[in-house]
Amino acid sequence: MIAFLAAGNGNWLPHDINEVYWGTAAFLIVFGLIIWKAGPAIKTAIAARPARIAEELGSAATARASGEAKVAEVKNALADSDKEAARIIDEARQTASRLSSDTVARAEAEAVAIRERGAADLVAARRQAQADLTNEVSRLALGAAERVVDANLTDDTQQALIDSYISQVGATN
Amino acid sequence: MSEAVNNAYAEAIGAVARAEGQASTVERELVAVASAITGSDELRTTLGDTKIPAARRIQIVEDLLGGNAAPATVSIVSLIVANGRVGDLEAIAKAVLNRGAAARGEEVAEVRSAVALNDEQIERLAAALKAKLHRDVTIRNIVDPSVLGGIITQVGETLLDGSVRTRMTQLREAF
Repeated sequence: MIAFLAAGNGNWLPHDINEVYWGTAAFLIVFGLIIWKAGPAIKTAIAARPARIAEELGSAATARASGEAKVAEVKNALADSDKEAARIIDEARQTASRLSSDTVARAEAEAVAIRERGAADLVAARRQAQADLTNEVSRLALGAAERVVDANLTDDTQQALIDSYISQVGATN
Repeated sequence: MSEAVNNAYAEAIGAVARAEGQASTVERELVAVASAITGSDELRTTLGDTKIPAARRIQIVEDLLGGNAAPATVSIVSLIVANGRVGDLEAIAKAVLNRGAAARGEEVAEVRSAVALNDEQIERLAAALKAKLHRDVTIRNIVDPSVLGGIITQVGETLLDGSVRTRMTQLREAF
């Protein structure tokens, strides 16, 4: 065919027909080498491709199942967390209620104690005031008595006291 | 040492008083004078000041006691003052009284009063104490202004307190 073409009008063939020959030969050699050397690998690759695709599809399916399981797990976890949150909130409410009750009870107890202490302090203060008043009255009364005694301890009174003492000693034998 | 000296003085004074036949009088007056001097800071300081000539101090004693005490008492006090033993006068008087009482078989009754008891009161009190305690006593009268009024008598372990001071104390404690 090359020769035919070469024997034609020659407008689309190279001027040197040998280039056609050599080029065709080189092409064929390279093509043959490729078929010879890469052919099996290409054939193997082409043959393995469906299996790989199938494997990748399997892996994808597994991943999808795993993902779906994860999603379900997350959903469950979310549901659990909602329950946990509700439980915590409920527990917090109970604790707050209990604390409130305890605080009220403690405050009431402290109020009672303060009232009792106040009453006791009042009684003690009243007693102390009475004692102070009594002492002050006693002091004033004794001071007045001592002044009266001093003023009345004249010589006559002294002699009378001495005579009275002697008479009493003599009378109590 | 001082007690021995005081006892020596007491023995000598007792001998002189007995020789004068005024043992009881001297004892009583000596106790009264000792009490008066001890109770007066000025008198005690003056009579105890050895820088003042002994003659001057004796003159003070005679001026104070002359006519108010027996001559034997004045002489004895003058002797004690002249010898510079005014500080021991009360102890000497006490020793004289104790010795005299012991010699008579009597017990000393220490009688504290705000004013001095006169002879008649002392005799009545001695008689009253004898009737009460059933033993003879010699009165040692000590003038103690803190008694305020009345008398406090101590005979041995027996205390007879009829003082105004004690009444006031009892009144204070009663409140």
